[in-house]
Amino acid sequence: MSEHHQPAPQPASGIDPKLLEILVCPVTKGVLEYDAAKQELVSRAAKLAYPIRDGIPIMLPEEARKLD
Amino acid sequence: MAPAVRIQYRSAIVGGDRMVMTRGGLAEGADATHFGFSTVPLGDKQGLVDEVFHKVAGRYDLMNDMMSGGLHRLWKNELVSMLDPRPGERRAWRHLDVAGGTGDVAFRIVDALERRVRRRGGRLDRAAAEVTILDINGDMLGVGRERAVKRYGADSVLDFVQANAESLPLEAASLDSITIAFGIRNVPRIDAALGEFYRALRRGGRFLCLEFAPMDTPGLDRVYEAFSFHVIPRIGQIVAGDAEPYRYLVESIQRFPRPEAFAAMIARAGFQRASFKPLTGGIVNIHSGWKL
Repeated sequence: MSEHHQPAPQPASGIDPKLLEILVCPVTKGVLEYDAAKQELVSRAAKLAYPIRDGIPIMLPEEARKLD
Repeated sequence: MAPAVRIQYRSAIVGGDRMVMTRGGLAEGADATHFGFSTVPLGDKQGLVDEVFHKVAGRYDLMNDMMSGGLHRLWKNELVSMLDPRPGERRAWRHLDVAGGTGDVAFRIVDALERRVRRRGGRLDRAAAEVTILDINGDMLGVGRERAVKRYGADSVLDFVQANAESLPLEAASLDSITIAFGIRNVPRIDAALGEFYRALRRGGRFLCLEFAPMDTPGLDRVYEAFSFHVIPRIGQIVAGDAEPYRYLVESIQRFPRPEAFAAMIARAGFQRASFKPLTGGIVNIHSGWKL
């Protein structure tokens, strides 16, 4: 049994870091920035923020928040 | 073949008037696709397919059992044994199961990986393998995730991503293998999806696709068709409370390209050694292609 373990750096519902390594924007195929606080994956090139719900990234442009 | 089968459409499944209700009447253009036997504007198909799967998500695997007499289990086992996934030693084996929301195929892959790792005295972790389940439908993924946690705990090698097979949110050359079981025929632009699978695979990577074939064996097709068009929607009505999604599933099988034609599409997407293996008298095929 673990005694005084610090909580993991990512939230329990967070996305797996190894998955993050290969995720790209489905529109531009460019890099994504992970916003852990907002639980979003941000594509600057596409000006879209893809939501992560319950640890599942929703990589659909129609579900993404538009950035200006 | 295909003796005229009268299909009664109800607007419930298509949610309104966007569906073009002609059978074969609408010219097949760049902007039209099939939804079962109906030709619908290409942009509409995804929404229509989404609705089908929203309705059946909770009972999808039970329905598959009833529709295939349990055979889908054998077919999926065969798919995984052809894939023969190997846990990596220097880096993780990365697998993507497309349209695999409920986890049926991915769990079999995880189990196969686990057996291999155990045989060499190890434990399956993310250093050895990572299996991603991708589906466009959030309900199906929700069902799959719940099952995954029950089966493997919260900390498994499985990941879930909601995305469109036609525009994968994955880096080029990032995967060792891709499977799709009974999913490709629901994709509006199959060529786009095949192109994306090719892009996402590494050199040496393999694509396997399990899919129904339209039946053309004289005699058998009549029986199969009678079963498909009359029995399956009725089973759907009883088990899932709605016949329409299953009517769609049956019709979409008859519209899907024959295995030779689909193998040619796989080759056109860039895959080498495109081939297929018929199972159960050709009711389904496992298509294979390599990125070499």
